[in-house]
Formats: sequence, structure tokens, C-alpha cells
Amino acid sequence: MQIITRQVKDKPLTVTIEYPERTDFVTSLVRRISSMDTSFSASIDGRRVKIRLADVYYIENVERKLFLYTAKEVYRLDSSMSEMLSITEDTGLVRISRTCIMNTDHLKEIRQVRNSHLEAVLDNDEMLIVSRKYLKDIKRVFQK
Amino acid sequence: MKSIKIILRDTCILAALMILSVFAISIIWSGITEEIGLVLKLFGLALIIVVVNYLIDEYLSLSMAMYYVVKYFAITALVMLFGFIAGWFYPTNFWMAFVYVGVVLILAYSIDSFKVKKDIEFINGKISDRGQRGL
Repeated sequence: MQIITRQVKDKPLTVTIEYPERTDFVTSLVRRISSMDTSFSASIDGRRVKIRLADVYYIENVERKLFLYTAKEVYRLDSSMSEMLSITEDTGLVRISRTCIMNTDHLKEIRQVRNSHLEAVLDNDEMLIVSRKYLKDIKRVFQK
Repeated sequence: MKSIKIILRDTCILAALMILSVFAISIIWSGITEEIGLVLKLFGLALIIVVVNYLIDEYLSLSMAMYYVVKYFAITALVMLFGFIAGWFYPTNFWMAFVYVGVVLILAYSIDSFKVKKDIEFINGKISDRGQRGL
């Protein structure tokens, strides 16, 4: 697969996919790129804002309330955990514990601390606890 | 390695289905014999263990070693309780449950540790590739 990028000023971001025949891989690629345009409606300080999927670091369920974390801010989401999980397919979002969904696009490293806990280190150096049960789901994201 | 794993898993599932099918027909012909009863009890115990195992994985956040310690005591307690009800154990040999469960869990822990290590290596390798491609 060749990746060609070029700057075209004064035009919206456009992704063109050329393929000899439409295979499952192409379909998956189209779905993956489309999902990157996904945004979440969230609130902060009483204001409603749209957060792009690419800006999401992780989503956490705290006492049945969902919070969306970007590199610097924390937003409140009105959705439920199950609603969030339903849109994670073909995105970089993956469940890493009972209460947390992580964006693997911001994952820097997975490490095992003293042969016990698993930690996910994000590119802003924040660390999240990963449940062993969900390690295979993270692996599946990278196998796609 | 993956193919061997799939073959072993499918063999176990097929064997379980064959046992259940053969025994289902035997029950119709000759009722529940002692052997059939034992196998049905083992399936029942397996179901309870799998449910408890699932609940521990889902609701507890512990270190890997602690998970296995908790599972060891929880599953041993279940096997002992089930064993007493089913008449497998007597007051003199109930400690055998600790040995049976211990052997299985040591094997499971070793396989799990190896698998976790391999999965982490795979994920970190992919992240490293992604970084090199500038994605």
C-alpha cells in the first residue's frame, strides 16, 4: 500500500483511496478513516462542545457518569458506557478495564509492573491501569 | 502456534459435545448411571467455576499473582463444597482439592504469564512500527 500526502491550500481535508478491487481490507480502511471523523458531544463548564475522536485520550466511567479526557481537559459525556462501546468498532478506541475505554492512537507503551499490574502509558505520559482480561482486545486493534 | 491452539480448543469442544450427545442418548435408553452422573456433575462444576472466574476477572482489579491467589482459594472452596455435596470427598481426604486445583492453576498461571508477555511485546512492537512510519 502506498501512502501519498500533499498539501492543497484552501480545500477541506480530502482522503482519496484508490484500489484495484474492493476487498475486505479496503472496506475496513474506509470504515476506519470514516470513524476518524467521528466526534462526541460533551460538556464542560456548562458549555456544549464537539470533541473529535482523534483528540480523545480515554473515556472513564466514574460512579455511572462518563468523563472524556483529552490531552488537557476533562469533559462530561451524556452517553452510557454501552453506547460508547457500540461505536468503538473500527476505531482506535478499546475497552481496557471495566470502567475505562482508551484511544490506542495515543498509546505509547504497554508495560507490566513487577510481573503484576499492566499499565498503558499514553503519549502525554498519563498512565492507565489495564485489566489483563482486555489485553487481547488491545492486541486485536493492532492486528487490524 | 495459533493453529495448534485452535486445533486443541476445537478438539476439547468437540469432545465435550460428543460426550454430551452420547450421554444424552444413553440417558434416554438406560437413565442416569453412576458414570453419566459423574460427568454431568463435572460439567456442572465447570460451569460454576467459569462463572466465578468471569466475575473475578470482571469485578476485581488485582495484580496477576493476586488474581491467581484469589482464584485458587475461591475455586478450591467451590470444588470442596461441590465435592462434599456430590460425595466425592470425605472428611479425611478433602485436602486433595487443594492439590487438584493447585496443579491446574500453576499450569494456567505459567501459560497466562507467557501469553501476557508475548501480547505486550506484540503491541509495543506495533506501536514502535507506527512511530517509525510517523503515524
